[in-house]
Amino acid sequence: MSILSCGNSGRLFWLGRYTERVFTGIRALPGHSGMWTEAEAEKCFDGSNPESLYCSLMYAYDNAIVLRDEIGSDTFSYIQMAVYEMNSAKKSHAPMLNLQKVSDNIAAFWGMADDAISDENVRGIIKLGKRIERVDLYARGNAGNDEIRREVTRLTYRIEKTGLHYDPENLSALNELAENETIDRPEMIRKVESLVYFP
Amino acid sequence: MKVTEEELCRHSDSVNEQLARYGVKFGIYRNGEFHEQLFPFDVIPRVIGSGEFVYLERGLKQRVAALNAFLRDIYSDRKIIANGVIPEEFVFSGSGYLAQCDGVSPPGGVYSHISGIDLVQGKNGSWYVLEDNLRIPSGASYPMVARELCMRSIPSAFSDNLTEDNRNYPELLRKMMDYVNTGGHSVILTPGRFNAAYFEHSYFAERTGARLVTCEDLTVENDRLYFIDYSGKKEQVGAVYRRISDEYIDPVSFNRESLIGVPHIFDIYRKGNVALINAPGNGAADDKGIYYFVPRMVKYYLGEEAILQNAPTYLPYYEEDMKYVLAKFDSLVIKDVAEAGGYGVVFGSKLSAKEKADFMAMLKAEPRRFIAQEVIDFRDIDIYEGGIRVPRKADLRAFVLTGDEPVVWKSGLTRFSRNPDSFIVNSSQGGGFKDTWVMKD
Repeated sequence: MSILSCGNSGRLFWLGRYTERVFTGIRALPGHSGMWTEAEAEKCFDGSNPESLYCSLMYAYDNAIVLRDEIGSDTFSYIQMAVYEMNSAKKSHAPMLNLQKVSDNIAAFWGMADDAISDENVRGIIKLGKRIERVDLYARGNAGNDEIRREVTRLTYRIEKTGLHYDPENLSALNELAENETIDRPEMIRKVESLVYFP
Repeated sequence: MKVTEEELCRHSDSVNEQLARYGVKFGIYRNGEFHEQLFPFDVIPRVIGSGEFVYLERGLKQRVAALNAFLRDIYSDRKIIANGVIPEEFVFSGSGYLAQCDGVSPPGGVYSHISGIDLVQGKNGSWYVLEDNLRIPSGASYPMVARELCMRSIPSAFSDNLTEDNRNYPELLRKMMDYVNTGGHSVILTPGRFNAAYFEHSYFAERTGARLVTCEDLTVENDRLYFIDYSGKKEQVGAVYRRISDEYIDPVSFNRESLIGVPHIFDIYRKGNVALINAPGNGAADDKGIYYFVPRMVKYYLGEEAILQNAPTYLPYYEEDMKYVLAKFDSLVIKDVAEAGGYGVVFGSKLSAKEKADFMAMLKAEPRRFIAQEVIDFRDIDIYEGGIRVPRKADLRAFVLTGDEPVVWKSGLTRFSRNPDSFIVNSSQGGGFKDTWVMKD
């Protein structure tokens, strides 16, 4: 196991979160299965809006570029290619085609990270970021309760493998919330957002 | 070479796509804003025959040995000054000399661990050293990564196995770091992502296995340097390949406003408890004014004639040279000794009458600030541009790594000017790069 700085542990975590945000965000776009409107395009590609998919991918890139030594050039290259595709999508008349390639590259990034990164903690932190983001996004969106429960289970399994600091009471509360017949989604978002902390 | 240059050119796009895929970039500031851009790569390599390389290797090892001896001397006995080989004012008035380094003996006795020696080849085939870079010479990562991606894109070019493999640079770097390491991890200290050479910092960290760190990851405690990991555990560090210039490396010893340095790192370096690569204070030996004296250093320290020639150089500091420079101004290139990166370089022939008069007045007022050199009509190398081959000026940065002994890397960074009328090859001024193939036979 290699040594990992506090700064890089946070960057790995956010790399996981931002890649998930883009991946799930693209799948949630109305243009994914139907017509693409100008308003949607603006929302997706607005470089001045930190909540746009474009910005989320740039934040993922900002984290990835300083993690080359942790994740390796091959793994990094998929984020770089996702950025190229996002820039092409921004200029395209059929942006979903390029956005699909953004998703493909993110999926390849996750696969390569899983396969090529030898340090279990490094792999685990990226995955944890991804799991936390997914629970958060599902709780905010239209995901069904079963989907949320499955993601909470995956998150719980993952968190022990990272060595990150987390609040075990929050984790228990999160699991209890998920088991309820009606999930209190705002409370779930609060719990998942405050689960991990960086001293 | 088994393949023709035309065949290489046909694969130019695929190699450049690979370089883009891996984010092989450099940073540049324009109007105060940071931009990342791809480093333009030309697929036609500079080819150096084995015999020619043997000559360069001997000359480079000799030059770097003399420069290391000079640094050892001026930070201790200063015999070269006492013996009148180099005037005192040339050593101590340069910005690269650091009084704080007096009496400091670096771990392993090495000052210039990584030396980047810039050479050009004249039209008659002679090589000339243009500049010694002994502080933080950069650029070795580019030909190395380009080679790897060319091998992937044009395997037939290497199937005869006649080209020396240059992908061993990280291994040489690692070996050198291990040699001077005082105990503990080796790390690469970067000022951060917005440094022009950040790609290189991160790539070398990946390839050497040395941890890439910023100042916030390191702390000095009990006269030792430690890396703090994310669980709060401290791991000792014994060698720091620092990509931060002397003045910013330690706010306690140097520039107090530095936010990218490590407080007290210089104190423990002085005590021999950590190796800094390259050693602080090396600027005393790679100042453009000191360059003039390197052949004399070779003779003085090694008792040998310099194998590699300097470009014919004049020091306006000397009255005789000043007269020559003023008389031959139009045929010379004048360099400000304090500048780098292709800045502060003036071609006499390109100045207007007024600019020339103003410049000459400045030269007379500050003779120590400038050197003048004959313009070497260096050999053009073809580049592939817009579907055709065109000749361009190019230099070669050779890398010498010194641990227990100096090793010349069997490759180098060939930089070229993309402007047909320019001799300036620096990436910061729009230049591109080529791989450098050293042939086995």
